[in-house]
Amino acid sequence: MIPFLLRRLVQSIPTLLLASILIFFVIQLAPGDFLTPAKLNPNISPEQLAALQRNFGLDRHPIEQYFLWMRNMLFHFDLGLSFSYQQPVLDVIKPRVANSMYLVLLYTVLFYLIAIPLGVFGAVRQNSLGDKAVNVFLYFLLGFPSFFLALIVIYFILQLRTKTGLDIPINGMTSNDFDSMTAVQKFFDVTKHLIIPAVILAVSDAAGLTRVIRGQMLEVMRSDYIRTARAKGVTERTAIWKHTFRNAILPIVANVGSLLPSAVAGAGFIEVVFAYPGITPMILDALNAQDLYLIAGFTVITTVLLVIGNALGDILLAVVDPRIKVG
Amino acid sequence: MTTTAPTTTQKKDKPLGQSQFSVAWQQFRKNRLAQAGGLMLILLYVMAIFAPFIAPDALSSYSTSNITRFHPPTPIQFRDPDTGAFTRPYVFKYTQQLNMDTFVNEFKPSAERCPLYFGVRGASYKLLGFIPGNLHLFGTNKEDCSVYLFGGEDLGRDLFTRTLYASQISLTIGLGAVVITTLIGLMMGAVSAYFGGIVDTLVMRLVEVIAAIPSLFLLLLLRSVFPKDINPILALYVILGLLAFIGWGGLARVTRGQLLSVREQDFVSAAKSLGASDNRIMWRHMLPTLTTYVIVTTSLAIPATILTESGLSFLGIGAVEPYASWGSLLKAAQDGGLSSLNTRPWVLIPGFFIVFTVMCFQLLGDGLRDAFDPRKRA
Repeated sequence: MIPFLLRRLVQSIPTLLLASILIFFVIQLAPGDFLTPAKLNPNISPEQLAALQRNFGLDRHPIEQYFLWMRNMLFHFDLGLSFSYQQPVLDVIKPRVANSMYLVLLYTVLFYLIAIPLGVFGAVRQNSLGDKAVNVFLYFLLGFPSFFLALIVIYFILQLRTKTGLDIPINGMTSNDFDSMTAVQKFFDVTKHLIIPAVILAVSDAAGLTRVIRGQMLEVMRSDYIRTARAKGVTERTAIWKHTFRNAILPIVANVGSLLPSAVAGAGFIEVVFAYPGITPMILDALNAQDLYLIAGFTVITTVLLVIGNALGDILLAVVDPRIKVG
Repeated sequence: MTTTAPTTTQKKDKPLGQSQFSVAWQQFRKNRLAQAGGLMLILLYVMAIFAPFIAPDALSSYSTSNITRFHPPTPIQFRDPDTGAFTRPYVFKYTQQLNMDTFVNEFKPSAERCPLYFGVRGASYKLLGFIPGNLHLFGTNKEDCSVYLFGGEDLGRDLFTRTLYASQISLTIGLGAVVITTLIGLMMGAVSAYFGGIVDTLVMRLVEVIAAIPSLFLLLLLRSVFPKDINPILALYVILGLLAFIGWGGLARVTRGQLLSVREQDFVSAAKSLGASDNRIMWRHMLPTLTTYVIVTTSLAIPATILTESGLSFLGIGAVEPYASWGSLLKAAQDGGLSSLNTRPWVLIPGFFIVFTVMCFQLLGDGLRDAFDPRKRA
């Protein structure tokens, strides 16, 4: 397993390097740097500006800057300085990445909890009324952008709130009196805020996966070894879950690696709607403030996440599919 | 012996050779849902082209004296309230009053009626950019008593008008980006398969790198290269270009793989030995083998791109004022304050246009995929 992992890691190094070059030169292309606002400030003398430029290495050749940036990133885990927060980028984005991860984790669990049973049900009871109803509903759902679904849900929550007076949170991640809560209360408070965005995300994304699982299940169910298993007299339950399902999900497991970054990106829209303190709202602010190192920092982190996700996907695939040799 | 009269069934005999497209077309003709989707799309595009004529107002006209922020929709009345008889359709004029308990501006219909007329003269426009006109499908002819089919948005502009104009942008960017993506993908794939060597490595590495960065963040990063406050028209082109740039990787890979395998086949060697030029072999013999794949992926990529565009506009980096796309109209819905969303549900209407368009494209795309798939032929 370990040599396999190492090989996987080594293989992803060129891609990561090239991605970092792309990210860095996109930043270089952008007009101005993070000293541009300072240049407009009459209180900062040209000497001070020159000193700042020297400190940040902005007076050097872009290629030299790139190596500086890489060196800082690799050896000091230093992604540069966020201009608008006047703090190292890593300190600024760490809590945001963690917040997004909570949302993404809950979303992933719900996503599979919805998609797997629905997909299997659709395949087992193919063309039944339930299957058709689910299909039509999912087809309809495919057209809904997640943020639009969220806005609709918020509309109904607001209606419910005015009718019943229930306090259903639709904003942020914590309640106002969060600081005075005990640890257990804090946990439930965050969960309460997380559950609605996570459900909306899961439902809006589940349509695609459910269709894939249903199609895969149908294909596998027609194969010879399932007939053999049935002829052998295994129970229907074993035939479906152990023999069919396990083979049907192989392509899905192979794709699980790309789930993480796309989930982070997909969660972005919901974060914006619910004013959740995640990654995307901060990137949008950084975009407005031209805080390029912050944007680059997020992009680097999510790219690394993608590579990790892909490696995880490979390992999972090897676990599920014994035909794939590891190591 | 009896002789049988020649039956008419012989007439139905079709010529034996059928092109791939005529087979697919026959299959497509059987798929009612896909046809309905296609028809609806044609209607949507016609609506978008004639948006300035159908819309009662101009794209961005609002009064600074009579502020109609979040004006509720004005239902069109057909009956006279006194007699109950049918009259010329009309809308009530709405008056505003500040509710002193809640400090919310409340709109109430007054008794004044504003009849609707067909073919009124109003704001001037240019259809397709060059046909001038000022005729509108319907309207009230009165400045201070306009018809709000979908209500008003946060600057008091007519949401129906904005939605129609937005359809021009939403429908064009989605389609345009996919067309450009397809061209880039085909070209890059062809170049990479044809030249091989260093070019091949470079192109395929670029594809990998683009795939390695999560697309939303790549889009945001690339958007940051351009100044935030560029010309709104330019911003639309920028977003079109970005959407095209991030999407071509998959197609380039497939094109390259397909061309590499086709290159070894007999018909290509035959063409070569007949003296066909490289260019001709590429365009007339090799790329056409991809036709089906391109048609199917393109038709399914369009709805996905429309969704992405609406998402970017919703985040505020797509269409910007004064232009609108369906996504940016939803952003305006959100900017008005989430907690008061239940007092103005009509601002969500543009979202249903996204849903409807995406569904039509999905139906059409699925229909095309099934039509070209020999395994699904009935």
